[in-house]
Parts: sequence; structure tokens; C-alpha cells
Amino acid sequence: MKRFLSVFLSVGMVASVLAGCSGNAAATNASGAAESSNAATSAVAGASATGKTFAIVTKSAGNPYNEKEAEGFQQVIEQQGGTCIVKHPEAATADAQVSMIQSLISQKVDSISIAANDENALQASLQQAMKAGIKVSCFDSKTNKNSRQVFVNQAGTKEIGQALMDAVYDISGGSGDWAILSATSQATNQNAWIAAMKTVMKGSKYSKLNLVEVAYGDDEPQKSTDQTQALLSKYPNLKVLCSPTTVGISAAAKVLQDKKSKVKLTGLGLPSEMAAYIGTDADHSCPYMFLWNPVELGQLSAYTSIALVNGTLTGMTGDTFDAGNMDNSPYKVVDAADGGTEIILGAPFKFDSSNIDEWKNVY
Amino acid sequence: MAGRSGRTISTDRKRYTKGFFSSWEFVLVILFVAINIFCKIISQNYTAANVLREMPKYLSEMFLLFPMAYILLLGDIDISVGATVCLSATVSCFASNAGFPIGAVVLIGLLTGLACGMLNGLILTVFTELPAMIVTLSTMIIYRGIAEIILGSGGSVSLNDVSGFSALAGMVGLFPYLFFLVLILGVVFTIVSAKTPFGRSLYAIGSNRSAAFYSGIKVQRVRFIVFSITGAMAGLCAVFLTSTLFGANTTTGNGFEMDAIAMAVFGGISAVGGKGRLAGGIISAFIIICLRIGLGEINMNPQVILIILGILLISAVLAPNISTKIKEKKQVLARK
Repeated sequence: MKRFLSVFLSVGMVASVLAGCSGNAAATNASGAAESSNAATSAVAGASATGKTFAIVTKSAGNPYNEKEAEGFQQVIEQQGGTCIVKHPEAATADAQVSMIQSLISQKVDSISIAANDENALQASLQQAMKAGIKVSCFDSKTNKNSRQVFVNQAGTKEIGQALMDAVYDISGGSGDWAILSATSQATNQNAWIAAMKTVMKGSKYSKLNLVEVAYGDDEPQKSTDQTQALLSKYPNLKVLCSPTTVGISAAAKVLQDKKSKVKLTGLGLPSEMAAYIGTDADHSCPYMFLWNPVELGQLSAYTSIALVNGTLTGMTGDTFDAGNMDNSPYKVVDAADGGTEIILGAPFKFDSSNIDEWKNVY
Repeated sequence: MAGRSGRTISTDRKRYTKGFFSSWEFVLVILFVAINIFCKIISQNYTAANVLREMPKYLSEMFLLFPMAYILLLGDIDISVGATVCLSATVSCFASNAGFPIGAVVLIGLLTGLACGMLNGLILTVFTELPAMIVTLSTMIIYRGIAEIILGSGGSVSLNDVSGFSALAGMVGLFPYLFFLVLILGVVFTIVSAKTPFGRSLYAIGSNRSAAFYSGIKVQRVRFIVFSITGAMAGLCAVFLTSTLFGANTTTGNGFEMDAIAMAVFGGISAVGGKGRLAGGIISAFIIICLRIGLGEINMNPQVILIILGILLISAVLAPNISTKIKEKKQVLARK
């Protein structure tokens, strides 16, 4: 009997926890709505999302960059009168994303926008979703061409490879050892950019540059810090470190600046996290870096999802669609390198000491 | 006939019905029904069709629960199963891409798992003084290391031809094939542990290894067999996991060992050995699966879901302890 009592007590406890959580969820939704109505931008005629449900699945929780993307996505969807579901997986694995996709199929959402943790592992689930009539697009990190209708690309892979290589060339003075600090070894976007950099590096202009190692910090601050320190001790002649990931670059920036190292840093980073490290003098570890606006990427994803659901966009090459008051609107669907199609947000944006102060408060 | 193996071993046989209604399994059945009613209330999408469609990914983890229950009954632990799943999945993907037919690929996956399990068993039975925790921790790192080497710099492999594995993920009506396989194996593992001399020897070894040894049970042989079976089941898990993921990568199987241990402990199987029944583990696995699916459907934050599962687990472990404490207190009061 005692056993029953304790079980029912624990069930009661769980139930109250649940009640508490759902209350919180409602509260955050409400504040989200308030935020989006504050950010008053003109609604687009003909792109209404009323009565539809749009889901966004990020790579993992606790990734500030992903959260900004989701924020932009939610803003646009709610502005257009749609319902937005934001899902952050418990871990940055394809496994966790598969469960979320399955759950979204059960909820009969109208569209899924996803930043893939693995290029191929989501194929079975996303195809199931498409079969169930759900529109599927990717942003930030793509799936293979069979698992999506269109990919919303933050910047052309080539453009990023070129920009980063030119930065390495410029900062190193045109010659010497340099290294890359990446995220996980299977992150599709990271690998595409690194491959693009290697392609650019084949040009004779870059022949005196020597890429000594590609290290993987797994997008964990501690591991990225350890990897940076390992690179410094392994390669005493290292001149430049390039980290095309927000977690890696901020960890490396702190290590280099604290050690007053001569090694300089560039890559892709969040202005708010990197503001303290950007500067051309010896006290700062990062002369300049690049990024696009994750909020805008989320917004473009939202407009893409809405256009897919409304049928104004099918994901075929040559399609054009209206993206509200975004800079490059209307956007055009183009061929992607993997045989699928993509929409490109724009070229990466350079952050240096002249503009970092105005951007650090934005994101 | 051997004594009934509940959470407490007693010499007098209770009447079966009374025994069942006061058992932990009965509590779990009630909890299972309650959780399903709860999920149905909170989510209108919580239908049989949806739950069964969402289930395969979780079901494949149940292959790990069965042998893990045996290992816990022995008083051992195996934390290398997640890594074994990763290695088996990797090897099967490469085998499939090399053009082997699906039957051979499944066999290769199973054999890879078996080999990993046998290595664990071999080390543990040759050097009996080594704790299973440390040995399987080492092999976990080794298996994952080998998998990462095979996977190469990309860290991920995907199937060139998915037709074979898609067939494995097929359905009979609403039910995936996997569901039936889990059910059949569940029944087999439960009966073996409850009714066969081999099964009873697990309890004997877990209760007192030396006593079991001196009463003629081949302790190390039993341990070797159980660890080997665990490996093979991890291979089976890997094959079905591949049929939902169409590939493998360095994070495949992360945390599976903990999920299997949690399901078993929640089901009333003691982590120190000798106590508990697999039936409880199976019911608790379905409780956890249903709760995850239900809460997922109302888009609850997955971190919060983890916290809830943690609370549920610790309550389940505490419940019998608290009830014995209360009983003891009552007895003390009665004596006064």
C-alpha cells in the first residue's frame, strides 16, 4: 500500500512539474508575440500565413547563433499571422532531430525548416514528412538533395571560402603557417567551407601559405580552448588561426588574447561575443572577422516556408518569391553544388574595429 | 523449485494473484495506463498510428535493455554498448556500400557486435578481479575510436542503396516489424531469466557470487555468455537504427547505455544484482517511450523532458526504500 502511495505521490509531483512547465511555455510564447509586434515591419500582401503552422528545428539548444535564427523565423511567422513551433534538440545529433521530425509529422504541421546535424541521416524521416504533405526546407546546414525542397544558404560556399582565404593571406602577410579550428568533423557547412578554402588555396597567390592542421573543437568552449592551446604548442611558427565557427573563434580569441600570443585570428564569429577581441593593435587577437546576420537568415527561412506552403514557391531552379522588406528581395532559387536547389542570403559581412561597436548590441 | 524472484526473496510462497497485485510490475502497469491517459489528454495527436510511427527509433534501444537487465542481475554493468552500436552501425554501412546483400550486411552487423561483446566477456572472465565498469569504460573508448577511424575525416557514412534497410523498416498495418521482434525477444529473454536454470543462475550469481560458485554454478562461463549476447544485441540495435537513419556517424549510439540502464532500474531491477524482473523493465521502457512521444507532441523543451525522466527514475528507486522505512518505523512503534 505504501508503495502505491509513494508512486501516486511521485506521479502527482511529475504532473505538477508538467503543469508548471506548460505555464512557462505559454508565458514565453506570449512574450515572443509581444516582441514581434514591437519589431514592426510591414506585412507583405499575398504572403499571409494565417491558420498555418510552421516549425523550425535547430541544431541544438544553447547555441546562441541558432537561437538568433529561430528568433528571426518566429518574428516573421507571427507577423504574418501563422503559428510558430521552435524545437531545440537535446543534443546536436541527427538522432535527436529524427524524433523531433517524427513528432512534427504527428502534429500535422504545414512546414518544417531544419538546420541538419547530419547530411544524410534525416532522409528517411524528412521524406516521410514530405509524403505527408509537409513542406521541407533547410537553413544554415543542409541535408542531401533528396531530403529537402530547397536550402536557404547563409552565403555561397565559394564566397565564404574566398573571403576567409583572403583574410588569412592579408593577416599573415602572404606567407607562413596557418591552421583551422573547426566544429565537429561531420558538420556539413564547416566541411564545405574548409573544402572551398582549400580550393582557393590552390591558386599561385597563396602558394607560400602552409595549412598545418584542421583541428576540431566540437563546438564546445572547453574543447575548443584545449585544441587552440594544443595548436600553439605544436606549431611554434603558427601565424594565423582561422575558425569558421562562432564557438571556436570566441574560445580561441580568449586564449590568444590572454596569452598575448603573436598568432592572429580570423573566421566567422558573433559580434557580441567577439567585440572584446577585435582590433588591429597588439592587445587584440582578432583584426577582423566575418558573419552574416542570423536573424535575417531566420527571416528568409520563414518567408521561404510561407512561400512553399502557399504554393508560390516549389523549390525549382528559377522560381522567385517575395521576402517582405528584406534587402535582396525578391529572392531567386538557384542550383546548388550538390544537385539540389538553394536560395542565397548574400555575401558574408566584414566586422572590424570600425563597425564592431554598432553591431555588438545587435546580435 | 527456486524461490520467486521479486524485489525481496522470501521463502513462503504467496498466492499468485496477491503476489501480482502487490508487485512493482503492477504499479508499473497502472503507471503505464496513467501515462497514456495523460498523454491523450495533453495532445490530440497522441493516436495509435502516430505513436507507432514515432516508436521505431526508441524501440531499437530496447534490444539493449534485455541483455542489460541480465548484466545488472549479475551485479555487473556494461557501458560500452553505445559504442558497440556505433561500431556495428558503421561496419554495416560500409558493408552495405561495398555491395553485400542485406542479409549478409545484417549478419556482419550482428557479428561485429558479438565480437565486441566477446572481447568484453573475455577480459572480464580472464581477469576476474577487474571491475566491469572500468573494463567496459575502456572498451567503450576503444570501440568508438575504431568507429571514428573507419568513418574517416568526414565522421559520417551514408548508405548508397537504401532499399535493403528500408525493407527492414517496413510495417504490417500500423505495426513496424521491429515491434514484433522486440516483443518476441522480450518474451524469450523474460522466460529464460524466470524459468530456466541459466536464468536462475543469474540471480544466484548476482546475490552472492562466491556462494553461487561453490554451489557448482560456472560463474565465469555465465558472465562470458551474457556479455557476448549483449554485444550481439547491440549489433541488432545498430542494424535497426541504421534502417531509420540510413547511415552512421560519430554520435550514433551516444548515451544508449544509460538509457538501457535507466529503463532496467526503473523497471525494478537492482543495480547491485540479484533482484528484479525483466518484465518490469519492459513495461517501464514503454512508459518512458510513451512519455517522450507524448511530451514531444506538445513541443515541450527536450531538456525539461530529460529532467522529468530523471525525477521519475529517482522516484522509482526511492519508492521501495521509503516504503520499507515506513514499515520499519511502524514495527518499532508497535513494539513500544
